[in-house]
Amino acid sequence: MSLAGNLKYLFMKDLGTPALLGLQNIKKRSSRPPDQSFGPALKSNQRLKAILSKHYLLARYTPGAKKVAWVTSGAPVELLRAFDIYTIYPENHSALVGAKKLGAAYCSIAEGAGFSQDLCSYARIDLGHLFSGKTPAGKLPKPDLLFCSNNICQTVLYWYKVIAHELSIPLIHFDTPFVAQEQTEHDIQYMAQQLQDMIPVLEQITGKAFNLKSFETILKRSQTSSQTWGKILESMKSRPAPMTIFDAFGHLAPIVSLRGLPVAEHYYDVLLKEVLTRVDQGVGAISDERYRLIWDNIAVWYQVRHLATFFARRKMNFVTATYTNAWAETTGYLDVKDPWTSMAKTYGQIILNNNLKHRQQLMQRMIQDFDVDGMVMHSTRSCKPYSIGQYDLRKILSTELAIPAVIIDADIADERIWSGEQIQTRLEAFCESVEDRSYAH
Amino acid sequence: MTGPDQIAPLIIPDRGEYLKTKAGEGVHIMGVLPALYPRELLWAHGILPAEIWDPPGEIVQANAHLQASICGVVKRGLEFILHESDLITSGYLFPHTCDSLQNLGSQVKDLLDSQKPIYSFYNPKAANTPATTTFYLESLKGLSRELSPDSTELSPEELIPFCELGAEIDQLRAEIMAARAADHLELSNKTFRRLMRAEEYLLPQDHYALLHTAQNHIIPIRKTGLPILLSGILAPQDEILDLLDNEGISIVADDLLSGSRRYPMIPLQPQGDPWEYLSDRYFRLPPCSTQANSLHQRIEHLEQLISNTQAQGVLFNIVKFCEPELFDHKSLVNHFRQCGFPTLKLETELEAHSSGQNLTRVEAFIEMLKERAIS
Repeated sequence: MSLAGNLKYLFMKDLGTPALLGLQNIKKRSSRPPDQSFGPALKSNQRLKAILSKHYLLARYTPGAKKVAWVTSGAPVELLRAFDIYTIYPENHSALVGAKKLGAAYCSIAEGAGFSQDLCSYARIDLGHLFSGKTPAGKLPKPDLLFCSNNICQTVLYWYKVIAHELSIPLIHFDTPFVAQEQTEHDIQYMAQQLQDMIPVLEQITGKAFNLKSFETILKRSQTSSQTWGKILESMKSRPAPMTIFDAFGHLAPIVSLRGLPVAEHYYDVLLKEVLTRVDQGVGAISDERYRLIWDNIAVWYQVRHLATFFARRKMNFVTATYTNAWAETTGYLDVKDPWTSMAKTYGQIILNNNLKHRQQLMQRMIQDFDVDGMVMHSTRSCKPYSIGQYDLRKILSTELAIPAVIIDADIADERIWSGEQIQTRLEAFCESVEDRSYAH
Repeated sequence: MTGPDQIAPLIIPDRGEYLKTKAGEGVHIMGVLPALYPRELLWAHGILPAEIWDPPGEIVQANAHLQASICGVVKRGLEFILHESDLITSGYLFPHTCDSLQNLGSQVKDLLDSQKPIYSFYNPKAANTPATTTFYLESLKGLSRELSPDSTELSPEELIPFCELGAEIDQLRAEIMAARAADHLELSNKTFRRLMRAEEYLLPQDHYALLHTAQNHIIPIRKTGLPILLSGILAPQDEILDLLDNEGISIVADDLLSGSRRYPMIPLQPQGDPWEYLSDRYFRLPPCSTQANSLHQRIEHLEQLISNTQAQGVLFNIVKFCEPELFDHKSLVNHFRQCGFPTLKLETELEAHSSGQNLTRVEAFIEMLKERAIS
């Protein structure tokens, strides 16, 4: 790392990026008029936008200052933070591309390079970005290393192997045995040992020594942020819920990609305060919340606004989701005094690395705790571990809990998969069932 | 044109008939989903593993439980399970291979309330380190305890004979593969594939005897066929194998998940602790798309196979929606293209018969290989 690179990075971090973003905000003040179906927008939205913009903007100034890692959303990033590695989350970036309805264009670049259209669209978008340099974030730094964990899917391992091959860079892989029944002691020991074995590798890559104290601070911060995120999600038990799950899809970005950093910890304190104030004042995310829904699976990023409006106009609010809950669910296992085994428990038991009985029970609890009237399941072509089992889960949960449920077949970020009319028809029929059920009750 | 099999036919037991007979004899049969599992351990527990890769028949019931974008191996596996075959008496084993098979195991166990016991086995994906080896050893012993009626793991004495038998099978198979690599095996592509797939359902002693008989088909003179390498999950349908036979193309080696990726390149001899032997065997398997091996390692391995066999091209037979294979494929093909080495990719949904389009593509590939051979 060079002195000049470091100085440039520090200047941009403390002065340059805030100034640049301030200028951008002046230019972009106009926004579309709010739909009357929604309550007032969260004030934290602007703060979130600023944080994420700064993160992507600052990333451009990392060369010569910091090592950059591309990381999967379920990887134990705290370890990288202890080495002051700048992290970029390709999944988040792909979601951003998807939300801007650019997914198909980026996927096409990867497909043109020989990758099958049947592969995960996050991966195709990322590879499309890698081959073309295109990004709505302006410019992303190339990684010095890759860090992945198969606790969210095996796909990330296959995908990161391709990047490692293309860029000839190291790939650090955290292998998390699937919890078919329950975590065993040897599962935990295996994961804990892998984490410790990564230290000399990271020391070699960064040229920095591992500092346990600093690592513990990061871990604690990570735990606090996740717990606060959990409280924010819990606030949606209130009637009316202070935010919608579509808001939460956006606000989970820091817990995914800035976990362990002070900025995320502070951000969630502010957001929690805001949602609790709204709860106290009875301010809802939609103007007239009559029905409450649960969402299963990752968002349909290119249809978030459309779906939010569709349901809000029918007085329906998504108050909980398995997806947003994933970054809060296992935090309770984290223990700064026992970092390695507690991280193994935390990262090894997340929803997608856990069996379907666990998912069924979790969803049952969520439906009951959040007083849910109906369930929408997004069956996505891109995510097999999230989607396989949904047909049976739908049947079991809707029968046992007597709530209407619908499955929509779509994709997380490739908008070519969206069959608008068909989905609209299915959702309208679903909404009628929710209304009928409520009337009958 | 007469096929080479007419010279000395090899009798390979039919899968269905064989399993029916064994079930009738009281053999405990376990349905095993793809791909890597400790077969010696099952044998030692008195279980005959019957592997479920691509059971024939129409997919009807499974479509109610799985999305359209799920691969044929998973769909056919579930269809088979839903038919509740009486042959399967000891339940099902789901080794951890990919996301789809991982979830299928849980789906069958947790959501479909299978009446038969469901076992899972996690194959570690991380590189071979002391932590990985310890984990694998513990997983082997854990599975042994699950399979045991009194929840105790096998003693070394109980396991050793089966490790030895497994090693003898590996050795025989390696000799046959070496003969095939040198194109000294007088078996058609189709018969050779059936011979290799017999491991999926035969008792080890019967498998050993079959391989032993197959050695009689090793001939001293090299065949005159054009050698190619086969890669993917499963071999293509019989029509394609027949076409290759008829055109004098010989599949001399494979990089199939259902085939050679499950065997160490150099067979090991069990010495000392049988658990450690099983662990060593696992960690010496060739690079695979489903594991954490780098693409560089896979390319090196394929190059070695090509070099050993003088293969003139690679036929990739890829199951539609198979993510691990589809991710690796592009880098492998790019590498071979840069070397000017011919490849062909076929995509299959494991239909009983090959599509006309695939046959035409194979024909064109063969023509190209022949032209290259002449030039």
